[in-house]
Amino acid sequence: MRKRSFYPKLAVMNIKNNGKFYFPYLATCVFTIAMFYINVFIKTNEGIMTMPGADTLESFLGFGIVIIGIFAAIFLFYTNSFLMKRRKKEIGLYNILGMGKRHIAKMLFYETVVTGIAVIVIGLGVGILLSKLVLLLLIKLLRFSVPFGFTVSGAGISASLILFAVIFVLILLFNLLQIRLSKPIELLKGGDVGQREPKTKVILTAFGIIALAAAYWIAITTKSPIQAVFLFFISVVLVIVGTYALFTTGSITALKLMRRNKKFYYQTKHFTAVSGMIYRMKQNAVGLANICILSTMVLVTLSTTVALYVGIEDILSARYANDISVTLMSPDEGMREQTVKKVKQLVSAHGLKPTNWLDYTALSLSAKHESGVFTADSANYSGVQSACWLMLVTAPDYERMTGEETALAPGEVLIYSLGPEPGDNIELFKMPFTVKRHLTGFPAANKNEARIYAIYCIVVPDETTLRVIYDKQTEAYGTNRSEITGYIKMDIDGEDEKIIDCAKAIESALTATSIITDKNGNARTVTEHLAYVECKQAASADTYAVYGSFLFLGIFLGSLFLMATILIIYYKQITEGYSDKNRFAIMQNVGMSRQEVRQSIRSQVLTVFFLPLAAACLHIAFAFSIIVRILALFELTNVPLFFRCTVDTIAVFGIFYALIYAVTARVYYKIVS
Amino acid sequence: MTILDVKNLKKIYTTRFGGTQVQALSDVTFSVERGEFIAIMGESGSGKTTLLNILASLDKPTRGEVRLGGKNLADVKEKDIAAFRRDNLGFVFQDFNLLDTFSVGDNVLLPLVLAGVNHKEMEARLLQIAKKLGISDILKKFPYEVSGGQKQRTAIARALITAPQLVLADEPTGALDSNSAGSLLNLFSRINAEGQTILMVTHSVMAASHAKRILFIRDGEVFHQLYRGEMSNEALYQKISGTLTMLATGGERNA
Repeated sequence: MRKRSFYPKLAVMNIKNNGKFYFPYLATCVFTIAMFYINVFIKTNEGIMTMPGADTLESFLGFGIVIIGIFAAIFLFYTNSFLMKRRKKEIGLYNILGMGKRHIAKMLFYETVVTGIAVIVIGLGVGILLSKLVLLLLIKLLRFSVPFGFTVSGAGISASLILFAVIFVLILLFNLLQIRLSKPIELLKGGDVGQREPKTKVILTAFGIIALAAAYWIAITTKSPIQAVFLFFISVVLVIVGTYALFTTGSITALKLMRRNKKFYYQTKHFTAVSGMIYRMKQNAVGLANICILSTMVLVTLSTTVALYVGIEDILSARYANDISVTLMSPDEGMREQTVKKVKQLVSAHGLKPTNWLDYTALSLSAKHESGVFTADSANYSGVQSACWLMLVTAPDYERMTGEETALAPGEVLIYSLGPEPGDNIELFKMPFTVKRHLTGFPAANKNEARIYAIYCIVVPDETTLRVIYDKQTEAYGTNRSEITGYIKMDIDGEDEKIIDCAKAIESALTATSIITDKNGNARTVTEHLAYVECKQAASADTYAVYGSFLFLGIFLGSLFLMATILIIYYKQITEGYSDKNRFAIMQNVGMSRQEVRQSIRSQVLTVFFLPLAAACLHIAFAFSIIVRILALFELTNVPLFFRCTVDTIAVFGIFYALIYAVTARVYYKIVS
Repeated sequence: MTILDVKNLKKIYTTRFGGTQVQALSDVTFSVERGEFIAIMGESGSGKTTLLNILASLDKPTRGEVRLGGKNLADVKEKDIAAFRRDNLGFVFQDFNLLDTFSVGDNVLLPLVLAGVNHKEMEARLLQIAKKLGISDILKKFPYEVSGGQKQRTAIARALITAPQLVLADEPTGALDSNSAGSLLNLFSRINAEGQTILMVTHSVMAASHAKRILFIRDGEVFHQLYRGEMSNEALYQKISGTLTMLATGGERNA
């Protein structure tokens, strides 16, 4: 009689014996489970959800949970299939030694149970231990200062348990199905399927080159940020297609060309390398393309999120040109003056002194600009490149702000251009004007915004002209018309909190609250916003919350992808090692010295290893300009900063990559020699 | 002229932790003249493979010396050993040991490429040797596309292309059917007749009966040897069979 503990024991022994393959797999499981737990933990953490910008963070984390979940499933399946391929021989042997498929199933079942329980327990343990650390990091990123105790998330534990239990059950079922479908002899033969020389596929290679070239061309030539977003996704798809095509067929075509050049090919260094690489590429092309795309994703995600986060101050100054700005809806002359007085009073009541004070009335609207002719941009984004932003101010306001004499006659304007020069005769909504003078500066113009679209600040002679243009644009835009608006803008020196308080006071002072009693006698409070108040210091907290969440998710997903990259590379190299072992033994017999063998191995392994990274860097180099344009939409226009972030990210990633290389190469040499 | 001189060779394998010692060769002495075709016979475990590995400088003897072309193998520096092996020895293995990543032609060229011979000369030597071995038609093919006999002829071409002093063959007919084995052995005889020295390890009587001299190894020593003299292959076959029977049933030493 067999003892009851036979199968569990056998399962544990199998796992131990296959340690070289099992360990990285188990480590991945633990890491993934820990990350999943931490993500759920933070999403359900009550403390953090009280902070400003929590909604954004929560939706980001929700997104993160979905991605990690899907990714975990795909990735664990992938590594499992690798494990099973390696173990086919062993299982075939059991089968031939008299173990029925039922018994093998039992053995696999126990293996899954043992590994599953172990990794879930350890993974949750690691997750719980690390959760506090990650939370601290997050709070630091979000600039949120509230002490948190050490808590364990029940929701996190149960969600992780359910998800990973389901994944493990599915993997087990998949393995059982595979065993069921295969014959023992096939199992015994396992991975040793004869390999043929790969064929040259010229058409696919050409296709890959064209796809990649198109993607690069789009990335370099796209100028408009709004177009950039749309085209970016097209070029991402093209890059992915091109990368797969070129890794699978392009590499082989290139190597075969090298082989055809006999002078080059029949040299000691190139001979073994070229022929070896042809086979390596055949087996690994898809894996390498995966690694390349994963690496590119990691690098883009990290460099952009880091740049956005580091550039928050830049972004704030682009979005908020002034510390406090008040926007008055359809003001009349008296109301503006009244408000200006009120705001001045409130500021000094808070013990603050405004600097750079501006108040003016303006009509701001979007338009289409073609060599001096400004017409309605009928919102059918066909001409996004020619879209621009107009700001019309009256001569009296301009004179008051600058102290300059304008002496504009009717039909004359002053113009300040941040964009293509309109020339000396312009047309505003079919009204012709003569440009009296091109200005070299304008008090209320925000140069940072001009990176997204062209801006024209135009000084018209008087209020009447402004009204006429207002009526013309109303005809063109209908309900989408822009209103004539009053602005009060100021910078303030002082503590952030005081400025925020002041801004709040201004907002409530400009909000009229009245109680209306309706027909049925019910009293109702009606709040009427007469003005919008924006405060840079208040926005800063929100921005940190948003971009901090961005960065957090970037780091989180980045490390997940990095782990995937590591594991794929590791498994690739080990498989390679086993098939190379024989080859290098033969070469030594034929008269290759140990050192030459080592060198040959090193050069091939290095190529396989760093090819994806090099390709990823190339992708990023070409994507750089289009990403810069997209970042402009997020109001990040500091290109040197983004460049530095990109380079740093690549450097850090490269270090990780080199570390994996060192570890893998050691395992590889051990197998081969 | 003596090409290979083996004196008092002894090899003791020690297990990794210094526990048990196994004596593979106790005292082997023999020499090979230029132009000889020698077969070394012996049962599994008699020390044939150990002897071959030492001759091939893949392993070092515990005691004794091997001189190849007058040069003591122990004096060749570690870093030169690969080049030495490449220039002086040719190998033919039981399982062919062809590299599946190279075409047949490239497999044959491998030692020359490693030696850094220029491409024109390589080409000329390849064509010549391929013609001699009847593999001219399959040079562009890959090992998985050709038969066992063709694979072994490719391996022989690879062994001969450097014009080595000595060709070492380890059970060259082991993985072939009797037809291919027969033609391969005839090929060996022909190459030998052209002056190539061959040392072959085998336990196939059929294979050994093509040699000019047969050494029998038992328990790590040269136990007995036979010369062909004027005998035909068939007569030699009979003689070898008789010797083997005698060896198996335990006869007197006669070396």
